[in-house]
Amino acid sequence: MTQPLLEISGLKTHFGVGGTTIRAVDGVDLVVNPGETVCLVGESGCGKSMMARSILRIVPPPGQVTAGQINLHRQSGKVVDLAALDPKGAEIRSIRGREVAMIFQEPMTALGPVQTIGSQITDAIQLHLKVSRKEARNQAIEVLTRVGMPRPEQRLEAYPFQLSGGMRQRAMIALALSCQPRLLIADEPTTALDVTTQAVILDLIRDLQAEMGMAVLFITHDLGVVAEIADSVAVMYLGRVVERAAVDDIFHNARHPYTRGLLRSIPRLGIRVGEELDTIEGMVPNPFNRPSGCSFHPRCVEMIPGRCDRVDPSRTRLPDGTEVRCLLHEPHRQETAPAGALQ
Amino acid sequence: MTLVAKQGIRRSGSSDRRTPIYTVEGLRVHFPITRGVMRRIVGQVKAVDDISFIVYRGETLGLVGESGCGKTTTGRALLRIVEPTGGRITYTPPDGDPINVRTAGRDELKAVRRAARMVFQDPNSSLNPRLPVGEIIGEGLHYHGIARGAEIEDRVADMLRRVGLRPEYIRRYPHAFSGGERQRIGIARALAVNPNFVICDEAVSALDVSVQAQILRLLRELKDEFDLTYLFVGHDLAVIQHICDRVAVMYAGKLVEIGPTQSIFATPRHPYTEALLSAVPRPDPRVRGTGERVRLAGEVADVSNLPSGCAFHPRCRYATERCKTETPQLRPVGEQMVACHFADSLTLKGVGSYAA
Ligand SMILES: Nc1ncnc2c1ncn2[C@@H]1O[C@H](COP(=O)(O)OP(=O)(O)O)[C@@H](O)[C@H]1O
Ligand SMILES: Nc1ncnc2c1ncn2[C@@H]1O[C@H](COP(=O)(O)OP(=O)(O)O)[C@@H](O)[C@H]1O
Ligand code: SF4
Ligand SMILES: [Mg+2]
Ligand SMILES: [Mg+2]
Repeated sequence: MTQPLLEISGLKTHFGVGGTTIRAVDGVDLVVNPGETVCLVGESGCGKSMMARSILRIVPPPGQVTAGQINLHRQSGKVVDLAALDPKGAEIRSIRGREVAMIFQEPMTALGPVQTIGSQITDAIQLHLKVSRKEARNQAIEVLTRVGMPRPEQRLEAYPFQLSGGMRQRAMIALALSCQPRLLIADEPTTALDVTTQAVILDLIRDLQAEMGMAVLFITHDLGVVAEIADSVAVMYLGRVVERAAVDDIFHNARHPYTRGLLRSIPRLGIRVGEELDTIEGMVPNPFNRPSGCSFHPRCVEMIPGRCDRVDPSRTRLPDGTEVRCLLHEPHRQETAPAGALQ
Repeated sequence: MTLVAKQGIRRSGSSDRRTPIYTVEGLRVHFPITRGVMRRIVGQVKAVDDISFIVYRGETLGLVGESGCGKTTTGRALLRIVEPTGGRITYTPPDGDPINVRTAGRDELKAVRRAARMVFQDPNSSLNPRLPVGEIIGEGLHYHGIARGAEIEDRVADMLRRVGLRPEYIRRYPHAFSGGERQRIGIARALAVNPNFVICDEAVSALDVSVQAQILRLLRELKDEFDLTYLFVGHDLAVIQHICDRVAVMYAGKLVEIGPTQSIFATPRHPYTEALLSAVPRPDPRVRGTGERVRLAGEVADVSNLPSGCAFHPRCRYATERCKTETPQLRPVGEQMVACHFADSLTLKGVGSYAA
């Protein structure tokens, strides 16, 4: 077995707001192997972005990483717990943008408005790599070419606002890839794009990954995108990973009722016109008002009364490697589980 | 969920495909581009450029295309929220004479805007944050003189119940609701005045899949219950396929293809439609890498500086010299209407070719 690149366990990121605590991330476990694409899916508000930001320690205040470990196996061979680092310290800064880079839904989150694309990329390169300005510039042109930016030399002089949405997305990706990170965190980078542009950007990320061997943690709420790019998938609900499995198992052998509900509610091309979609009833509860027991129980069609509303399921590892947090799958429940457990 | 809904049985309601409710002929919406303090007109944004279509009573017509192609402008022009600069729009009420929307006077226009309503994508910006939900939904009832006083409140409470919200919420403000709930409020507001035509402009685009499925189900139930006709503007073709009887595809302000959903999805006849279908992510990892995917190079055409000939030609894999000079007209090909010179000779890929 290869050494994982990133190992997260028991991660909690909480927001203290006016006396109450919002548990945005509440005990997440996750592994990313070198070169692998892990997709993190879940409905909005379930903590995907805060989980991603926790890795780079860029959670906005009053949010704080309050528990858990984020072990990164550094290029040097050393293992560092990012959760234990000072978010403003030298070590995390030497990792951010260099070994772990991030792209966002809104490119202006990463691109400053007052600097040209070229100077932003060359600055990033020079911050981490010992190269001359001229060499950095050449590398910037190379990376812009690589992300499919037309006329890259001219685009070096462009300001972000002068580019179209799709081109700005490419510029942001170029910036993130400029130092050849080993892990790219992509937080819904295609959500705001047209499907046509999304398809091109997904192809691009896939190609670059194959070429550079980097791992990708890809956050999305679109299961179609997951099916297109993931090796493995983590499904989040209310700040926790409720199911983690290989992509094929998620789509063809999902165990968690939430995952199954999500799969039933996606519209699919090629299905008869007018076919009714199934839905998950109700909606995601407020994170400061977490239901008792299994936090999915109020919406769950397979809920066991008297049990699911009382017992908080723990993480269960099934023989095929899938990890699931659901009482239907906890060992001592298995004799009663299969009826509803298989689709 | 009802048994009927669960089995996916489609109730066609009172759909009569022969009676037009909205007839659009040669519609143009051009915005002037001005420069300098004198606001000299230096060009035109041809947001909608000579499009014609009919919406039939009882159907759901989808309107799709990449952002900026003119979908919203088309919808708004039907209600004259933006002024058309050319063409003809006729609204035919179920029990009355056709109304020429472009020349309609104040009263006539008011009647049109009661019969034809809009639901928007972003319920956050379309709901006034300073008004309680009751007033937001009741506004139209008051304005159109449909109800007054306590009657308004009763109707609003009914409407809230009908869209799946509790009537007790009537005094709450929009911020106290989730995105899905706000969309229900937007729907209640549109339906409160008993319209017969509803334009849903990206009404489910910003919602999570589970909530999206709930709202789609609600829209379908309301359609049957209130005998509605929908113009469903969207960019997610999988959603469109679920809800629409017919689909119109726009590119750079023009209609490039229109026809029954089933046949457009199975056998698209415009290269742009083929590319749109091909770009939709397929939610099954087992079909990954199978079948050739069409990728659109370059950017959406700039509607203030359209390419010559067929506006799609710079991105079209089938383009020839003729496409650079001669503009294709919309014409019948099979069950569809298509604007491509080669619509009857090209064999394009539909969703059947890689259905999971
Ligand atoms: N600045 C903040 N202050 C308080 N709570 C926040 C803040 N940012 C995020 N949250 C809470 O954290 C939860 C998770 O947010 P986020 O990670 O952005 O979700 P996702 O990316 O899955 O949509 C949200 O429900 C939200 O209430
Ligand atoms: N009021 C306006 N003034 C100038 N241009 C406009 C106006 N409204 C829309 N446009 C332009 O018209 C085109 C079509 O826009 P829109 O109808 O919103 O497209 P869609 O809804 O398909 O994304 C775009 O290029 C847009 O910038
Ligand atoms: S007319 Fe020509 S350029 Fe336009 S879609 Fe058809 S083949 Fe392509
Ligand atoms: Mg997010
Ligand atoms: Mg629009």
